[in-house]
Amino acid sequence: MLLVRWKPVLHCPPQGHRRRGFAWPRGPRRSLLLRRPIRSPAPAFLSISSSKFSQAGRARVRPVVRAGLAQTPSLADVENTEILFSETLSLKRSQTVEGKITVRLDPAVAEEEVSKWRLTIGCNLEGKWTLHWGVSYCDDLGSEWDQPPPEMRPPESVLIKDYAIETPLKRLSSQSERQALHELQIEFDSNTPIAAIHFVLKEEETGAWFQHKGRDFRISFTDYFEVANSVAGNQGLSIWPGGFDQISSLLLKAEESTSKKEDPDDEDGNVVKQNRCIAPIYKEFPILKEEFVPNHMTVSVRSSDKTDKNIVQFDTDLPGDVVIHWGVCKDDGRKWVIPSTPHPPATKIFRHKALQTLLQPKPDGLGSWGLFLVDQGTSGVVFVLKLNEYTWLNNNGTDFFIPIGSVSSTTAEIGSDDIVHEQQAGTEIHDVRNSLSPNNSYPLQNKSLEASDPQNINSLPMKPQGPEELIEAVAYTDEIIKEIRHLVTDISSEKGKRAKSKEAQENILQEIEKLAAEAYSIFRISIPGFVELASDTELLKPAVKLSSGTGSGYEILCQGFNWESHKSGRWYSELSDKAKELSSLGFTVIWLPPPTESVSPEGYMPKDLYNLNSRYGSLEELKDLVNSFHEVGIKVLGDAVLNHRCAHYQNKNGIWNVFGGRLNWDDRAIVADDPHFQGRGNKSSGDNFHAAPNIDHSQDFVRRDLKEWLCWLRKEVGYDGWRLDFVRGFWGGYVKDYMEATEPYFAVGEYWDSLSYTYGDMDHNQDAHRQRIVDWINATNGTAGAFDVTTKGILHSALEKCEYWRLSDQNGKPPGVVGWWASRAVTFIENHDTGSTQGHWRFPSGKEMQGYAYILTHPGTPAVFYDHIFSHYQQEISRLISVRNENKIHCRSTVKIVKAERDVYAAEIDGKLAVKIGPGHYEPPDGPTKWVVAAEGRDYKVWETS
Amino acid sequence: MEVGLAVKRAGAAVPEALLPVRTLGFRDPIKARTRTSCVGFQPPASGAWRKRAVWVARKGVVRSEAVLEEKAPPPMKKKEAGPVRLYVGLPLDAVSDCNAVNHGKAIAAGLRALALLGVHGVDLPVFWGVAAAGDWTSYLALAAMARDVGLRLRVSLHLHAQRRPRLPLPESVSRAAASNPDLLFSDRSGRRHPDCLSFAVDDLPVLDGKTPMEVYEEFFQSFRFAFSDFFGATIEDITIGLGPNGELRYPSFPPSGSHEFTGVGEFQCYDKYMLADLKRHAMEAGNPIWGHSGPHDAPEYNQSPAFGKFFKENGGSWETAYGQFFLSWYSGKLLSHGDRLLSVASQVFGDLPVALSAKVPLLHWWHKTRSRPSQLTAGFYNTDGRDGYDAVAEIFSSKSCTMIVPGMDLSDRDQPQGVKSSPESLLSQIMRACRKHGVRLAGENYSLVGVGTTGFRRIKENILAENSRLDSFTYHRMGAEFFSPEHWPMFTEFIRSMMQPEMDSDDIPSSGERFSLMDAVAADDREMQTV
Repeated sequence: MLLVRWKPVLHCPPQGHRRRGFAWPRGPRRSLLLRRPIRSPAPAFLSISSSKFSQAGRARVRPVVRAGLAQTPSLADVENTEILFSETLSLKRSQTVEGKITVRLDPAVAEEEVSKWRLTIGCNLEGKWTLHWGVSYCDDLGSEWDQPPPEMRPPESVLIKDYAIETPLKRLSSQSERQALHELQIEFDSNTPIAAIHFVLKEEETGAWFQHKGRDFRISFTDYFEVANSVAGNQGLSIWPGGFDQISSLLLKAEESTSKKEDPDDEDGNVVKQNRCIAPIYKEFPILKEEFVPNHMTVSVRSSDKTDKNIVQFDTDLPGDVVIHWGVCKDDGRKWVIPSTPHPPATKIFRHKALQTLLQPKPDGLGSWGLFLVDQGTSGVVFVLKLNEYTWLNNNGTDFFIPIGSVSSTTAEIGSDDIVHEQQAGTEIHDVRNSLSPNNSYPLQNKSLEASDPQNINSLPMKPQGPEELIEAVAYTDEIIKEIRHLVTDISSEKGKRAKSKEAQENILQEIEKLAAEAYSIFRISIPGFVELASDTELLKPAVKLSSGTGSGYEILCQGFNWESHKSGRWYSELSDKAKELSSLGFTVIWLPPPTESVSPEGYMPKDLYNLNSRYGSLEELKDLVNSFHEVGIKVLGDAVLNHRCAHYQNKNGIWNVFGGRLNWDDRAIVADDPHFQGRGNKSSGDNFHAAPNIDHSQDFVRRDLKEWLCWLRKEVGYDGWRLDFVRGFWGGYVKDYMEATEPYFAVGEYWDSLSYTYGDMDHNQDAHRQRIVDWINATNGTAGAFDVTTKGILHSALEKCEYWRLSDQNGKPPGVVGWWASRAVTFIENHDTGSTQGHWRFPSGKEMQGYAYILTHPGTPAVFYDHIFSHYQQEISRLISVRNENKIHCRSTVKIVKAERDVYAAEIDGKLAVKIGPGHYEPPDGPTKWVVAAEGRDYKVWETS
Repeated sequence: MEVGLAVKRAGAAVPEALLPVRTLGFRDPIKARTRTSCVGFQPPASGAWRKRAVWVARKGVVRSEAVLEEKAPPPMKKKEAGPVRLYVGLPLDAVSDCNAVNHGKAIAAGLRALALLGVHGVDLPVFWGVAAAGDWTSYLALAAMARDVGLRLRVSLHLHAQRRPRLPLPESVSRAAASNPDLLFSDRSGRRHPDCLSFAVDDLPVLDGKTPMEVYEEFFQSFRFAFSDFFGATIEDITIGLGPNGELRYPSFPPSGSHEFTGVGEFQCYDKYMLADLKRHAMEAGNPIWGHSGPHDAPEYNQSPAFGKFFKENGGSWETAYGQFFLSWYSGKLLSHGDRLLSVASQVFGDLPVALSAKVPLLHWWHKTRSRPSQLTAGFYNTDGRDGYDAVAEIFSSKSCTMIVPGMDLSDRDQPQGVKSSPESLLSQIMRACRKHGVRLAGENYSLVGVGTTGFRRIKENILAENSRLDSFTYHRMGAEFFSPEHWPMFTEFIRSMMQPEMDSDDIPSSGERFSLMDAVAADDREMQTV
């Protein structure tokens, strides 16, 4: 059995300033003392290693009592008596139940989708369970969490800040004994570049959090290293032992080695080194959960007709042994006095001060009761409850008091405060030893009652005993004395100290680990900007005025990275090696990844715009890269993320909306209509990107700063133009402003929104979609082109469903942006978002070359994705590019669509090229022009004039 | 069987306000500092070069009249028998160039973690450029944070500028340098080093009528005044930055770009003041021709020593009379700069219960060659057959100044081939010189972070070596990587292994709540919870 140390850790939910990672807040640890059970002064760790104890410990009841003043009627079953006083105390008892958490990873059923996996997390305990979870993406080691990609999120999920989500576990209807009671399934695609899933479990009712060994659960899919010392853990999943355990294993070597023996499955320190691979897995983790169980205790006082005594009746539904530790008070004082005989059955005298009476089980087995006789001269009964030797219930630190005498005038002094005080054994011993406080002296545990295991209670011989059956008081007190002697010896011995120091050490280790994690998470996101001063602000003026929307008109663009390019940390130098090759393939423009410091490694969450050291490489390497492209005649586009920017600091409300670095804007630079970031700027002039503060481009200072930045980039890095990220987020007019200020050689914006679909089927007419893109280009005054998302979408449907007729619009023109404003359309079939390892909108697999045959022969400026260039398609792509170049096809070339049928599309371009895509047959007609095949491949063919 | 104690939780026994940490280290007794004098400066017996160097040094001291004199060589202090005090460096930009505390929350958490771990203190890097205006608020805030968690402080007063993170020279100095670029060091091709002021202007009234030495002294005074509450109890040590990167050396490394520097570096004697001094010096040596310029046959920054004639293994110019002349002067300027600056510092801080320290670089590249070019260009005349560190140690000794040496984590084996590097033998040479002159040593790691297991092992070896003179070790530097799951466990393991030898099983505090981790570890407790 896998032995894992489990602790329900009580804490508040993560606070705002910890953006990432699940750091435990340092909130007041309110519950700690309350839930601490009374326990033997022997070192706690000793006891749990003994199986006998653990058996008892499992079912140990840890009570939390809520004593309230609830005036409900008592169980009036005694006739002929006058009820003098009755009161029902409601007790809230916590009980530790053992359960397990199961983690199962298996492939989703559908066989064709081999990449679909399902992670099932189950728990077999009652409660309202919530999974608090996040993922980390590949190459993000450490405690950093990210939100899972949207497709992974189960529908009921709630986003927590921007790094985690919470998903409730569903209660399963079919429940067999050992099966999970609550379960959550997360489906995901193994192609998603997540490195690990992290989670902790939360139980909403008790507010308890469940971690794995003081850290998040981590289900890792990638290789990683651990300090090696054994061989286990060769599966796809591993539960991350966590830094804390690394430390503790280092620090507590001796203990660790012993525990290892009993603990062969423990994965601490195993080598887990493997490539990203996912294998089915099933694991169980035992947990201990404290459940609250409401209980009641009714105390009623009656006057007995027969005697001069009052009858005090205790009636409770507390399960198991309930011992009333009680005494009576004379006069007004609270001095405990042993009541006069006869004592109730099953009563022991405790140190001449109090009685301990075991209540009798009720016939129905649900609770127990007892009748005590007390002299009428007494003013009241004082008592506390003992459930077992560890667990005592008292009334907010004092005794329960039931008035007997002048009842009418006395209010039961039962605290209305809900707080429960359980006392620790250590303090009690002190009390006992000194015998100082007679009215508050809790007894020591009692060996003869030790078996008060609730599970055994019913089997204990509990026949009703008459009041005359008294327990031998003398023998009992002897036992107590012996007990005290033991304890006193124990506590003065070093053993006690050590146990204490061990516990404190454990606390300190956790504290250290927590603090380190906190420091790490903050440092990580607040890496200060390295501000390079632009010494010379004079702008570079290009010699010839070109339209930045088109470049020369003969451009062929290469997207020079994919979603994984940041991984190596040296993409710039890697790409630099390919400059010559890209040039010889015929590319004239390359689009480089976003260069700035970014919260996400891919660069699209920029922070300090002037810090150009990114996961792709340093500023120097970037400059070298740009130079190497310039040397081979390729223009370089910088990926400018202007829509949003991640803040450096929180404002006083804890909102991340204060920027640092050279552009140390405040919340006035943020649009006002995203409540997440409490911007004080104007409303956004476009759509909002919700993961980061959206920049308010309507502010003069923002535009001024951004223009300065772009100019600086052009000069410092040597960029020739821009690829503009998420231009849906702000008005194209601002882009015009930026383009005019920076005078790029070429610029293209990403205006990506959804095409129109009806009942899941793409509409033939996508004019509305391309109109939005064209409107944007228009707003830029044509200073920037735009990616032709429409064409890509239509190609998807046409190729996937063999609906090539879609490739002609109602007017017989190309249906995408390229049909309306070809010179500003940058056609593409895949990019880092749609394809690569993200695959948000992947081009029909295997049909990429048809796509390229289309865009590389058609007008517009074609863009080829890096992954396709360096794949088995390279030859074919290269051929198509050279055909395009040889025939001087440019962005304004004319298209004559000659065929747009179910299975074939064919067109002539500038009368120089003929192209067909689709499985259907097409041959350009023989006539005055002689056509020769220039390129061909699966389901496409290109002819040129001879 | 799982029997975790469900209710036990970190912090239950640890009060929210952090525990004062029991100091494991041994604090130096406060030393009454003897005033030093140049008059008593004993010319060493190792040859003419040395006399010149001393002569230069003496001259420098004479010029700065404020320096008090010393009557006897400092008492040779035996290494105190205490354990090595462990410090962790705070981020260089803990206070930003805008004089604001950077990532304060992270530092606060980090400090608490370090305190609990049992680390002795932290190194607070103070930059001239940030605090020159006299606004110490941010630094004071950091010092208070450290004090409040019971950590000691070593304050490094850096008089140089930092490129990354960007921490420039004071604005007034930058202004002066802009109008007179010769205030800055310059290499043969005329490139300026914006890191620090040329040693040749130390005593020229180039900063609004004041000499740099006077300005440094004002800065020290300002620091002293601002931190008066911290000395002794919190600040135990003040480190004086003697040159670029806070080290006693010329800025001989390439001015920018390359992250790794494996070449020889260049001589930095081409600003007008250095050249004038060289000229004067050559005249006095009776060979004016030597004073025209620096060596013409030295290689460029990253070239191999084989380029040019100067550093050639056999028959290189460095061995000629000219070479000896030039190198003596060049290294003498460095020594005199260090000597004077330390004099100023000991004058300002001498009566405080703090120790003075300063850092020398570990220029281990090419150490296995005869000419040791990287040391020569940096100003250490430490060639085959000539101990350049003896004179350095002597100066440190005369100022009762601890010598901080980085590179405790380096081992010969891990050095790249081809640059004839030997950090270990250079380190032992420096240690020898310190032993000879009774100078206390403090160690640092070389790389700012990312030492790795072998590095930690090497540090441990160095610290625990029998003849080790180290009395403290500073680990650089706190930051994201420092606390990363890859690095942090290694560091805690290192700290633990460093502390354990000193621990005794009796060393269990009487109160279970007032002790740091190490105490608890030391408690040899066999009762362990089942895991």
